[in-house]
Amino acid sequence: MIQLDFKQQSHLHADLREAGAADANANKLLGRWINTNWETRGIAECTVARDGDGISVNVVGAGEDGPIKWPTARATVLANLEEEAGQRTSALLATFDFGFMRADTHMRINKGVFVIVLFVTFLDHSGRANYLNREFFYRHA
Amino acid sequence: MSKPEFAQLSDLVESNPVRELDPRALIGNWINSNPDTTSIARINVFEEKGQLQLQVFAVGPDGLIDWGPTTADVFAPNATATAAAGFTCTYDFGFAEARFQGMIMKGLLVLAQFHLFKDDSGRASYFLREYYAMTHEHF
Repeated sequence: MIQLDFKQQSHLHADLREAGAADANANKLLGRWINTNWETRGIAECTVARDGDGISVNVVGAGEDGPIKWPTARATVLANLEEEAGQRTSALLATFDFGFMRADTHMRINKGVFVIVLFVTFLDHSGRANYLNREFFYRHA
Repeated sequence: MSKPEFAQLSDLVESNPVRELDPRALIGNWINSNPDTTSIARINVFEEKGQLQLQVFAVGPDGLIDWGPTTADVFAPNATATAAAGFTCTYDFGFAEARFQGMIMKGLLVLAQFHLFKDDSGRASYFLREYYAMTHEHF
């Protein structure tokens, strides 16, 4: 019997060793997601798509003179051990690198709503405070 | 003065920029709201030499496992705020990496955990989200 390394009980959860555990529910995240707040100063929309054997994320930020397309990010797909509202959906981890700033995000679905949590780190010594934000998105029909 | 680069309107700051964030809202002992958790039971957040530190106590088969201290990066609720509202940090155990994204919501610490396995055990990397309350002696 293989002895697994662990640092908490959930590292030993049996479901983690099922083939495709992380990817099984990732299809629910695919699609184009629109911010529920049309006055957002953050992310206007997000598209999650299959990209070869991985998943890519394209984000459009709200700009002064129109939308700002962010660089495409490859996402890490994570299994979700917990059910939320009777659903078990994978989560995505993605980092967007702009040079002057980095945005570390995670994305998931909760009660049918796509949630993006964003941690922005400024790398340009502009003195701006690094900040976090959470926004909600509905699936584009 | 030239306008700073931005990727969304919320990156643009019109007031004087803030350089130091007050971390007091994060500092304390946080206890998991779920007594049956199989993950992190307690988090001690403190400041040392001007840096935010986390010490995590996780649930193991034979009791709590002390992960020791790690340095966290602090985040505000917006680009002009002066008080911290969240943090990120990483523990690297060799066989796995645990990345945290924590934020204060309605007085609770909401901790998103990302466990990324680096060994050949075949385990899938996974996500957890749990809630923590700060202990106090006001009542």
